[in-house]
Amino acid sequence: MPVLIVPNKSKPLNIPIFQSRIPRPEELVVLDKPLLEATIEVGNLLKDCQAKWAFAGDIGEILNGVNVRPDHLTILSNVVGCEEISKKLEGFQVEASRHVETQIKRNAEIEPEPLPITIKSYASQFNLNGQRLNVHGDLRIRVGDWDWGDPLDYEPEYVYVVGVKVPVVPLELKTRLYMGLGWMDRVRKIHEAMARRHHKIG
Amino acid sequence: MSTVIQENPVDVVCLGVGFMSGVVATELALAGYKVVGITKGPYWDYVNDYSTTKYDEWGVGLGRKYDSPLPLQSTTIRNDTSQFALPVRRYTMPIQYHALGHGVGGAAQHYGGGMGRFGPWAYEMASRTASSYGLGFLAGINPQDDTHDWPLTYAEYDEWEKAHGICGNYNGSSTNSSSDINYPWMSKNYPLPPHPLTPLAQLFQSTVQGMTAPNGQKYNPFPSVSALSSQPYTNQYGVTVNPCVYEGYCAGLCDYACETGAKANAAYRTIPAAINSGNFTLVTNAYIFRLELSASGNQVIAAHYYDAQGNDHRQPGTVFFNGMWGYNMIRLMLLSGLGTPYVYNSGTGTGSGTVGRGLTNGYTPYRGTNVSGTVNIGGNSYPAGNGSGGGVSVFDLMDDNFSHTGLNFIGGGLFGAGGYLGGGPGNITFAGGVSAPNTANPNGAMGSAFKATQQNKYLPTKQSVGATPFAPDLPTFMNYIDLDPHYTDAYGDPVSRLTYDWTPNTYNGATYLVNQIKAILTQMGATNVTVGATVAPYSAHNDWWGHHLRGGLRIGTDPNAGTATAWAALSGYNQLYYNSNTAGVNYFAAGEITNTTGNNATAGTHAAGPQSYRAAEGIKKYLANVATSGVNYLAS
Repeated sequence: MPVLIVPNKSKPLNIPIFQSRIPRPEELVVLDKPLLEATIEVGNLLKDCQAKWAFAGDIGEILNGVNVRPDHLTILSNVVGCEEISKKLEGFQVEASRHVETQIKRNAEIEPEPLPITIKSYASQFNLNGQRLNVHGDLRIRVGDWDWGDPLDYEPEYVYVVGVKVPVVPLELKTRLYMGLGWMDRVRKIHEAMARRHHKIG
Repeated sequence: MSTVIQENPVDVVCLGVGFMSGVVATELALAGYKVVGITKGPYWDYVNDYSTTKYDEWGVGLGRKYDSPLPLQSTTIRNDTSQFALPVRRYTMPIQYHALGHGVGGAAQHYGGGMGRFGPWAYEMASRTASSYGLGFLAGINPQDDTHDWPLTYAEYDEWEKAHGICGNYNGSSTNSSSDINYPWMSKNYPLPPHPLTPLAQLFQSTVQGMTAPNGQKYNPFPSVSALSSQPYTNQYGVTVNPCVYEGYCAGLCDYACETGAKANAAYRTIPAAINSGNFTLVTNAYIFRLELSASGNQVIAAHYYDAQGNDHRQPGTVFFNGMWGYNMIRLMLLSGLGTPYVYNSGTGTGSGTVGRGLTNGYTPYRGTNVSGTVNIGGNSYPAGNGSGGGVSVFDLMDDNFSHTGLNFIGGGLFGAGGYLGGGPGNITFAGGVSAPNTANPNGAMGSAFKATQQNKYLPTKQSVGATPFAPDLPTFMNYIDLDPHYTDAYGDPVSRLTYDWTPNTYNGATYLVNQIKAILTQMGATNVTVGATVAPYSAHNDWWGHHLRGGLRIGTDPNAGTATAWAALSGYNQLYYNSNTAGVNYFAAGEITNTTGNNATAGTHAAGPQSYRAAEGIKKYLANVATSGVNYLAS
């Protein structure tokens, strides 16, 4: 039998080393467990809902891969849907459905001076094991003292959450909304998510 | 002599950061324990690392730049003990597929995304075969048979499939009812739907539905199970996953990495949740070379690794989980003195010890057991995507799903067709029809001949279909892993030596199966249906070294059996699970199941993957110090 002894080496050979850039936690798109569980529960409870509904707000975006940190659930529907959802989630309701008009915290950034944003909808609120769920029906937006916009409408897209199929508001609608409000940081986040999702060449 | 760099102690040290460690690290980190994961490669960022460089055909397809660098560490291979084992020096055909993974996610960056389940027969192969065909059946087929049952269960498959976003559909079952238990290799609850069927898959499906399988029943086709997410997905750890965009050019002979993270990989399924927990530290470009044992010899107290500059780091921990690639795991144990090394006695045809015992192969011999034909698919089919999506599979030729009475083998193979053609960019090495001048074709296939082939390559109306069945490869005493006495890695440590050749069961089974598949191809209307020439066992040595080699560690419950010895052979160390009979030990490993099955070679990453949930459970209980005695997890 031939014998070939390779002498020991004290140092590694000159091999290429690929530098790692390990992602920081804030770069990762990870949904907190309590909200994840609430999302699954809502998805299961509303799976037979006849009215149009979809997860919206930050929760709708993170389920589509956008790097945001939701602290509650939001559903966008219409008045009929809001009523139907209230029935299906009756045991969790903390505020009955009613017409609500609210000025949100962030202003529109489309003029030299910031403009307040007001929303109105037929809304109700729920609590699922400590997680807040806001349901908006026929939500409309007004910037400053401009005219009210039409009720938001959309064709839902679908994503899967641990095997549960749930509708989400399309990112395309969110992009148009954010661009209209001048929230370019949010547009950028959606753009980054879409860039991660699609191939780069060809 | 360099100074050893002391790292801070942690609760859990994960050795290697692939599929198995991904689960263990994440489960433990989310439970609040401090975890360190050590891997010899980098963290691959699919956005920046794969999307812009994966089409580097030379670097990926031939240089295997995403794979384990051979100058750092190779392995030697031989067919039997009469041969001198030679090292793998280059990832070239036919040993190209030997390539191991490198970095976080391990080999997952270059696999095809097939991730089905083992059937229960694979776990109980020895006892079921003895019960059906007699005790001597296996020994009558394979000389030096060493097949044993494995005490594994199905409980962990669901969690595994949820974590990795597996696509499938049970609706292929004949009854499709909740009481249907005839198809245990399929889940009723895949978290994602299957990919749309390709034209070839539809043809295959409709064809087999009208045929009769060898068991006398109709074939039952299922959408092929795939680890490529078919839809946007969020797993149970809250990690969001992009869907496959099909045109990703991720398969073919180059096994390109996934540029959107749609292909299941610990780096993009479990590890993000571990990082997000704040309890997990990832150490990359770190080459683990030894486990340090306590004075008593039954505790691992630290892992040693070299960083990219060659410095020796010492990482202490309370528990160590070995989730390395199969034979790297064996090698580290042998280098560190864990367990009893397997020693083969060629004179008696038996062996003793267990660390390294039972090496098997997930692939059948490349030569002599294949069938091919050409199918008219009736229209252009975009030849991109990945082999595990869009296909249809039948399991009726697998395991013991048909009678083996009168046959000279046991088991069988999954047969699927119609997966996306894959075949990403391949103009340098793999383009169909392109060849250098040779005897048969003095001018090579260039010019007009080249153009003609390219039209059918990229917009084909006919499709060549070939099959090399995954007939089961059973463990024998003669196939094993040990340390090579001659060759070393870059640091002077012996590399692993693989002694392996296919056994008669594999040849006999594949020979039988190709004729069953030939009948299906013919029924599909294929032309030029050809069955490769039969090759007698051991007459054509294995020259197709795949990265689907598996085994080398066993688990079991009977200390008097050869395999039992999950624990016994390790002299008190755990393997895979916590063992109540050896209270106080702190080493867990993800031993790959030695028995093979007819399912896809990656099935559940060799079935050890799902069991990593059990390891995580055992480690939690060990750390909580509530199960140092009296609880036998194997029995639970």
